[in-house]
Amino acid sequence: MKDLFIEIWESLKRNKLRTSLTGFAVAWGIFMLIVLLGAGNGLMNAFMNNGRDFASNTMMIFGGYTTMPYDGLEQGRNIDLNDKDIELTESHLFADHIDDVTANIGQGPFYMVWKNKKVSVSLSGCYPKIAEMDKINLIEGRFIDNIDMEQRRKTAVIASSHAKQLLNGGTDYSYFIGKHLKINNTLYQIVGIYKSQDNMRNNDVYVPFTTMQMLTNQLNYEDHILFTFHGLNTEQENNEFEKQYKAVLNKSHRADPDDEGAIWIWNRFKQNMQMNKGTSILHKALWIIGILTLLGGIVGVSNIMLITVKERTHEFGIRKAIGATPASIMKLIVAESVTITALFGYIGMILGLVACEIMDATVGKSSLEMFGEKFSVFVDPTVGLDVAFGVTLVLIIAGTIAGLSPALKAARIRPIEALRNE
Amino acid sequence: MLIELKGIHKTYDNGQPLHVLKGIDLSIDKGEFVSIMGASGSGKSTLLNILGILDNYDEGEYHIDGKLIKNLSEKEAAHYRNQMIGFVFQSFNLINFKTAIENVELPLFYQGVNRKERHDLAMHYLERFGLADWASHYPNEMSGGQKQRVAIARALITQPRILLADEPTGALDSKTSVEVMDLLTQLNREEKVTIIVVTHESGVANCTDKIIHIKDGIIGETTLNTEHHASVFGSNTIMK
Repeated sequence: MKDLFIEIWESLKRNKLRTSLTGFAVAWGIFMLIVLLGAGNGLMNAFMNNGRDFASNTMMIFGGYTTMPYDGLEQGRNIDLNDKDIELTESHLFADHIDDVTANIGQGPFYMVWKNKKVSVSLSGCYPKIAEMDKINLIEGRFIDNIDMEQRRKTAVIASSHAKQLLNGGTDYSYFIGKHLKINNTLYQIVGIYKSQDNMRNNDVYVPFTTMQMLTNQLNYEDHILFTFHGLNTEQENNEFEKQYKAVLNKSHRADPDDEGAIWIWNRFKQNMQMNKGTSILHKALWIIGILTLLGGIVGVSNIMLITVKERTHEFGIRKAIGATPASIMKLIVAESVTITALFGYIGMILGLVACEIMDATVGKSSLEMFGEKFSVFVDPTVGLDVAFGVTLVLIIAGTIAGLSPALKAARIRPIEALRNE
Repeated sequence: MLIELKGIHKTYDNGQPLHVLKGIDLSIDKGEFVSIMGASGSGKSTLLNILGILDNYDEGEYHIDGKLIKNLSEKEAAHYRNQMIGFVFQSFNLINFKTAIENVELPLFYQGVNRKERHDLAMHYLERFGLADWASHYPNEMSGGQKQRVAIARALITQPRILLADEPTGALDSKTSVEVMDLLTQLNREEKVTIIVVTHESGVANCTDKIIHIKDGIIGETTLNTEHHASVFGSNTIMK
């Protein structure tokens, strides 16, 4: 091994300029690959980040419109969810998959008023469980609890951004705990404050679901049902479950069991699965673009190796005359090709990683302001160790391919060449 | 017999067939110092290629030390060349980017001998030829005579059965030529190395004990030359 590397080193030393020019193309290819993958990761991370604060194994159920006539009723009928749907969802029918069931009523926007200040908010009548399911990050006080629900208390949990606005940019949020604020002409006692999200999601004011039903005079009404589930791992399993679920709810609303429109389901798990599929396609596309860029470099290496073989024909003839086997000559050329590719490939990779860090430090730290909400476009645009391994593999394979045809040519050199006088 | 050629035929086919060797029969014994003489086009280069296992032949049989050398794969041929034959070339054929000692080591590298061992052995051969001080010099820093001595060291390091010298003095001046031929003679006398010299110079041929003339692809006369009077220009000179 050592002898082989000494040979290669001597050969590279003799052609410094030529080797570096060829190597530049390889380094450039790898650099582009790393930067592309880094940027791609940045975009994907930002995408994931902006929608990250949900439990992913949840489905949201909405009422829709019937699309088929059924049981003497015409199509186009509006379906409203009610307490019976909750009971059905919680029933033994779906006990195999469904865990926690909650419902929600959304209202607004209204002004939330305190002293002479006001801020526009939406009300969300919710179950206590929602804190866990939507990963609400409480920073002061407590969330809506079961007693609030039972007693239909007028309690509310507001976002830190609301408190900040009401305090003219102050940060002493705990000031509001226990205070009464007026929303839509009703006084609510603030019991908790949660950390607002820096993204497009509305930062709702959470109030007990039962209170909301009472205040809107819709005692039997649900805006949407939200539940967590488990054990549905493929898209097909999810589709089948959704079909069964729809059939049951449709029946209770006197709609055709096969009616697709009566009940709407937003399945976050399925959506995530589709998103993952999308990101994996994007990832593959970036690899392909990177490797195609690298291809130019590889052709260069192959070309230079052919020239090397041509120049060293006499030398290889001598080596063969004194006992070098074709395999040993091939090894010399392939190893030299892999060395050039790997050496410059790693230089490209290091520069690419530096470029990714620079991206991270500049674009990665900035965010877009939209509708008063912060929205990041680039999060952590870097690549992991797995990419470094992948690139190593690509370089070795690429180097071998580049060296193969020149090596075969070298192996075919006849030892009689040694006798030819130059 | 160390070398036995029986009815060797060789035809090159480059569009038009060229029958170069037309039935060569040749025997060379161990320890002989032989020259093969012939004009250009006589087929002596082709014969040398076959003797050195650098090329194949079409018909006949070639034995070295009882082993039939015929239809070998490239790998086997390389192996036999490495083990049995030492080459000395007209233009030395040292590898320019390797030092003298690295050049001498090279055949042992292809035998898989470890670094230290081959280095020691190569140094030993260089010392014998008075080149110890030149071990780490590159070929372009040496004179023709020195280069040819390095080449002879490289040829001998594997202790081959045959030393094949192709016009060994062709690139040397007359004084150095004499030195090189003296060295070959000495190796033959003292170490019983079997040496075959291919040349078209009668002075060089005269240094050997037996002169085999080749003409138009067949062996002509074989002259015993133990008295070394064969040179038309007189003994002990090499005409340039």
